[in-house]
Amino acid sequence: MQAQSQVAFDPSQGTAETVLSVDNLHKSFGALEVLKGISLEAHKGDVISILGSSGSGKSTFLRCLNLLETPSTGDIRLKGEPVFSSKDPKFSTKRDRGLTARQRSRMPMVFQGFNLWSHMTILQNVMAAPSKVLNRPAHEVEELAMSVLERVGIANKRDMYPSQLSGGQQQRAAIARALAMKPTLILFDEPTSALDPELVGEVLRVMRKLAEEHVTMLVVTHEMNFARDVSTKVVFLHQGLVEEEGTPDEVFGSPKSQRCREFLSTTSY
Amino acid sequence: MLQGYGPLLLKGLAMTIGVSLAAFAVAFVLGLLGASAKLYGGRVLRTIAEIYTVVIRGVPELVLILLIYYGTPTLIQTLVRTFGPESMSRFRVDFDPFIAGVCTLGLIYGAFATEVFRGAIRSIPKGQIEAGIAYGMTGFTLIRMVIFPQMLRFAISGLGNVWLVLVKATALISAIQLDELMRSAELASANTREPFTFYLIAALLYLSVTVVSLALIKRTEQFAFRGNEARG
Amino acid sequence: MNFEIIINALPKLFDGLGVTLTLTAITVVLGLLIAVPLAIARSSGPAWLNAIVFAYTFFFRGTPLLVQLYLVYYGSGQFRPQLEAANLWWFFRDPWNCAILTFTLSTAAYTTEIIRGAILAVPTGQREAAKAYGMTPFQRTRMVILPQAFSYAIPTYMNEIVFQLQATALVSLITIPDLTGVATVIANRTYAHYELYLTAALFYLVVVYALLLVLKQVERRLTHHMTV
Repeated sequence: MQAQSQVAFDPSQGTAETVLSVDNLHKSFGALEVLKGISLEAHKGDVISILGSSGSGKSTFLRCLNLLETPSTGDIRLKGEPVFSSKDPKFSTKRDRGLTARQRSRMPMVFQGFNLWSHMTILQNVMAAPSKVLNRPAHEVEELAMSVLERVGIANKRDMYPSQLSGGQQQRAAIARALAMKPTLILFDEPTSALDPELVGEVLRVMRKLAEEHVTMLVVTHEMNFARDVSTKVVFLHQGLVEEEGTPDEVFGSPKSQRCREFLSTTSY
Repeated sequence: MLQGYGPLLLKGLAMTIGVSLAAFAVAFVLGLLGASAKLYGGRVLRTIAEIYTVVIRGVPELVLILLIYYGTPTLIQTLVRTFGPESMSRFRVDFDPFIAGVCTLGLIYGAFATEVFRGAIRSIPKGQIEAGIAYGMTGFTLIRMVIFPQMLRFAISGLGNVWLVLVKATALISAIQLDELMRSAELASANTREPFTFYLIAALLYLSVTVVSLALIKRTEQFAFRGNEARG
Repeated sequence: MNFEIIINALPKLFDGLGVTLTLTAITVVLGLLIAVPLAIARSSGPAWLNAIVFAYTFFFRGTPLLVQLYLVYYGSGQFRPQLEAANLWWFFRDPWNCAILTFTLSTAAYTTEIIRGAILAVPTGQREAAKAYGMTPFQRTRMVILPQAFSYAIPTYMNEIVFQLQATALVSLITIPDLTGVATVIANRTYAHYELYLTAALFYLVVVYALLLVLKQVERRLTHHMTV
């Protein structure tokens, strides 16, 4: 029942440039194998929702892409350049720190718990990595920071500290922080799971807007409406494997896998 | 290497431990009194306890030791000679260094123990005390059955710290000629002209007291929080 | 109470207070400079380095400061020929040098552990965010971990400064005329022990609580965003 993962599914995206390709990714913690060979492709402008019950490995998968976890084996390429490759020590065991840092900066992550740096103002949070990691000139970075803060609708909070903002505002600030990197793609790790229900909407609205602007996104989420309405592709993980993948219509309309059907029927949306 | 000074050092170590234990007992009692005064006392008691901890924590131990050991007898003598009967015009008091040391260190660390106990009493979950009240306990029974035993386990790590600092502070009472470990090391150093050797041995003996104390504190804590692994 | 003795002693006591404050300032600053790299070594350095630093902090925190002071000041005398040969004797002959060396090493040991604890208290998410945005280990330490660790460490560190101020009273025992030293010298000459030690105690009280007040203000400035 496993879908062919190497093929681009959405025909409209078929000709678009491939920005991320993951090939046969494995990850074990000791004896526990969490990822058992995951392959995935993302094209420019794709919004890929990754679904799965807890323990399916979806968060670990995302953290491997950003190298917050080191994969056990497999290949990750970003715009054709290797990010991780277990065949090449230069991209696995003997990884150069500067190289890792550069590649991370091209696909930053939006965390479940926001993780805004608590000792910096919102503006400083957004400016920190572009100026110190990407070494862009200060005036340019400030301009860019203000424009991304406006995009997520919290430019007026620029001088506040994270603890002075609501959860929804913090998460929007965190999205601004990611946008300011001018990233190739953005990773979202359950971006609304830590929010009070009434704050979820404002974050999802920002993410919809980004999707309309063709920002490439990989989103681990429990928000089924978002996955169905906004994604270009839906991937369902089960026990460390891609159990099903396709367009939202395919996955939500007529899931081929039994487990995916069960998962969707038990999740209210 | 020890040139026969080993027994002297061990005697000094025994004295150090003795003074520490006695002073700790004094500090424990003063701490309980101080914390009770601060939490449950009237205005006068609260103020006295407050002044006590503020003053003690603001003055170096050495100055307090010198003040109490040298100052108090002079003060008493002056008072007695000035206000006492004619026959006492030659009145003299001398403090026994052991008692002076125990009292001074007990007084100093009683202030720190006060804060430990106060914090510990405050960290007892409210429901525990309410449950006691709901079952008809009052006053002394409530303190004995619920507050004291629960407070003690929150106090262990703080009291452990007080103990560790107190043991090290006993070195200061060598300044008032009590024959504890530090003074034994001074004597041995002076007589052998090997100060480094003897101060190093003294340091290692203090360190061994610290190590043993740390282990005992940890075990006490484990015992006190038995059945509460998540918190311990 | 002999007030005349106290009043006559005041100028000397103020000189002593100057010595006390100078010693505190020098050793606290030097101690902090040493403690920051040691704390980093202790929390993210290799195991062997961590072990060495731990042995150092454990020794200095587990033994009385007085023993350490005598070990350096009197203990160095045992190696006088060797120290003279190495042209280092001039350093250890001077009680000031010995006091500064010992007190710096002592406060550095306590401060190392304070900062290490604070570094460990920085939430994992903050480090991960720094990693995820491509910061190098050096950038992570400098831009995220240390600034936050300092915020956590400040209340405890302020106490350490006050302890250090009080601890300097020990230098009076190796003939340095600090506040306690001056009081002792005059008390021994005039037999006015409680007058002088009481005055010295008052000096310490005022200075300690004035210092605490200043430090509280500094703390409020530095950590206002963490406590909202």
